[in-house]
Amino acid sequence: MGTHNTSRRTVLKGAGAAGVAGLAGCLGGGDDDGNGDVDGADELGEQFPEIHFLVPTAGVNAFRNELATMVAENWEEIGFEVNLEELEFGAHVDQAVVQQDFDASLLGWGGTPERIDPHTFIFDMHHSSTTGEGGRNTPGYENPEYDELAELQVTQVDEDERQQTVYEAQEIIARDQPRTYVANEGGFHPYASSRVENVEAGLGEGFNSFWNMISVTPTESDTVRFGYPSEIISLNPMQDLATPDRQFVRLIYDQLYRIGPDGMPTPWLAVDEPEIEDDGMVYTVEVRDDMTFHDGEDLTIDDVEFTYEMYADSPTYGSLVENISEIDTSGNEITFHLDEPFAPFTANVLGQVYIFPEHIWGDVEPDDLADFEDENWVGSGPFQFQDWERQEELQLSAFDDHFETPNADTFIRIPGADVSQLVGDLEAGQLDMLGAVPQPAAIERVRDDDDLDMEEFAAVGYAKIAYNMRRDHLDDVNVRRALSYGVPKEDWVELVRDGMGTVTHTTISEAVEFWHNPDVEQFDEDLDAARAELAEGGYGWDDDGMLHYGADQ
Amino acid sequence: MGLREFVIRRVLQLIVTFWAFFTILFVLFRMMPGDPTSMFILDGMTPEQREQRIAELGLDQPLYVQYVEYARQLLTGDFGQSFIYRDPVMDIIVVRFMNTIVLMATALFFAYVIGITFGALMGWWRDSKFERGGIVVALIARSSPEFWVGIVLLSVFVYWLGWFPSSGMRTTGGELGGGFIARYGSVDFLRHLFLPALTGAIVYLATPTLLMRSTMLDVLNADFIEIKKAEGLPERTVLYKHAARNSILPVVTVAAIATGAAMGGSVVIETVFNWPGMGREMVRAVNNNDYPVAMAAFFLMGSVVIIMNFVADLAYVYLDPRVEYE
Repeated sequence: MGTHNTSRRTVLKGAGAAGVAGLAGCLGGGDDDGNGDVDGADELGEQFPEIHFLVPTAGVNAFRNELATMVAENWEEIGFEVNLEELEFGAHVDQAVVQQDFDASLLGWGGTPERIDPHTFIFDMHHSSTTGEGGRNTPGYENPEYDELAELQVTQVDEDERQQTVYEAQEIIARDQPRTYVANEGGFHPYASSRVENVEAGLGEGFNSFWNMISVTPTESDTVRFGYPSEIISLNPMQDLATPDRQFVRLIYDQLYRIGPDGMPTPWLAVDEPEIEDDGMVYTVEVRDDMTFHDGEDLTIDDVEFTYEMYADSPTYGSLVENISEIDTSGNEITFHLDEPFAPFTANVLGQVYIFPEHIWGDVEPDDLADFEDENWVGSGPFQFQDWERQEELQLSAFDDHFETPNADTFIRIPGADVSQLVGDLEAGQLDMLGAVPQPAAIERVRDDDDLDMEEFAAVGYAKIAYNMRRDHLDDVNVRRALSYGVPKEDWVELVRDGMGTVTHTTISEAVEFWHNPDVEQFDEDLDAARAELAEGGYGWDDDGMLHYGADQ
Repeated sequence: MGLREFVIRRVLQLIVTFWAFFTILFVLFRMMPGDPTSMFILDGMTPEQREQRIAELGLDQPLYVQYVEYARQLLTGDFGQSFIYRDPVMDIIVVRFMNTIVLMATALFFAYVIGITFGALMGWWRDSKFERGGIVVALIARSSPEFWVGIVLLSVFVYWLGWFPSSGMRTTGGELGGGFIARYGSVDFLRHLFLPALTGAIVYLATPTLLMRSTMLDVLNADFIEIKKAEGLPERTVLYKHAARNSILPVVTVAAIATGAAMGGSVVIETVFNWPGMGREMVRAVNNNDYPVAMAAFFLMGSVVIIMNFVADLAYVYLDPRVEYE
């Protein structure tokens, strides 16, 4: 920082003019940040502790790694001392989510379709009951006023009432800034326009969307070859599945409802919307009677009932259905009685439970569910399992007896070592589409290639910086708000991400129009505002521009 | 000390080396931050599920218990079960390991056949343009990183000329699995093998070439070569039968060691060409804290290095009776 600022500050202090609006220079930082009206504490206490900032390596995520550097520079300019620690993914999750050993942590939060319902964002990520090790409330945010709203929205079956509650909850989160919500990352997924058509980049998932995989149509052959930068771990729907695995399991297995292209649950094996009675305590669903499994056996209401009972016994997914106290069936109708109202029931339970054939899974012990090997993975979905060799390819074929037959006869998923190698395969004609966002240089090449094209998609998940509120120095809302003002959201999206994505200030993506509150308090990059927050919190700066507690703090 | 004692002592050393190697691997992997459940946490695994999974994997046991258990498994030829895939490690790595061996063996075979031939000729025609040019080419090849050579070959033969496929081990959509011949015997496979194997061959070519050349120069200065020439033997016979054969010894030793080193290089080549081999599996396993697979992969690749060193020692003794057993 320039001596110019220091001397101006000294003069002001000498004149006893602390806090005189419009006169005080910008303290503790750059020379050209405009005229702030900031001053700090008159008497300084201890220096503010160093911020231990966990960030991904460039190998894990080049974009976010760049963001971390930009953020750290700004924070240092405001007067913080920052210790940047770059970590591989597993180590990062372990330290930030399990051990909770961090001050700030830059991680993403994935926006899978079942998270389009606001429950995960509003409740799981911010309610005080989820602050434990491995819980999703990584900042340790606890606010009784907020908890009430998070609990209330679960019980509101009326969507408009629930929307109001979700709006209010977002306002509180924006005010308290347990995290900086940086940007819904979105991006481009490339495909070979000369070889496939009817691609649909779905909300939050791009080409990984279910709707894309059944609609994409090969024009030169009957096969679509889909590249993805990691391997499928398992197709057993009862294992703890990672997101890429689930994206294929759901092609083979059906649910009663699927999350539609608009993000809302739409009837699938169900004939119609569920009939909801008793203030959201009873859900009745009529199931289609024209379904068969891939091995030719009929899919009956008994299979549906069996499935929900099997889930209840599953050590992995039991919690998904634990709110169901009783199930009964009549004709082709199944009725679920709940212990307590659960507003996201259709999206998050009926839309997530895969229907299994009782004749194959009926005798499996609950503890063996996750290890059970049904080598043909018999479901009732629009694609059936054909063959699979790890690291090489997973082959699916269209199931002609389904009411929604896919447009490609064969769908092959090819795992790649990394995205740039996959883009090379796309250019060489060995792949038809990718479920991954290329690096900016590769995006240019795709743009210039006549055979290739890209589809843009909006994200539901986002990049975020969590602040560990269990630490004294980050428990102060002024500090967190100041740190949030130090995040160059706009520059990151426009310059680093080449325009891919949308800056966000709240936990719910603007792509999810119904639940997104557009009027929350905004935190754009503004170092003066950051200093003003700190000054208001009673902090001050020494002659080197380093941040200190005020003497009376 | 006789040959017998030498071999016995060398075998004992081998066993100790393996034990130390295995122990270091175990300690290193258990010191790595994170655990195999990390990659699922953001996908919605609850803390209770996580605890349960860790207990299932035996990771809540004290380290020495895990160590003894893993040593026991290894001694019975069992690498355990993958934490992530939940399949036996053996099933996962046998095919990958074969794919890597086929790739690297092809690369090394060509590197050594070509390298030894060129090196011998360079030594024979010393101070010629051929020798000077050869040295420059070899040095350039030796200084080129594997990924760079791979990318250059991709640009020329795939993107520009379109002669070869860009990645993988076979054309997609066919029948999967199959026996050895079905996997490695087809024209389609050879077309996929060509570029990655060529990448390896180029990178590994320099060592045998330069080494062969310099030992040739030594041997050619030796008196017996002059004698052979004076005996009126044809040049070819002197070159191949006497000079080259005597120069090849250090190259054989280096070849054995290079085989081990090439296992490490396979990681890069497999990534550039998306070759479904051990190197890629190893990277995945390390990133996901899949200890059993990662340790088995390192163990196998390390074993190749250790065994090839052992073979090099024995080969040296066998090939050159002048070597003393110490």
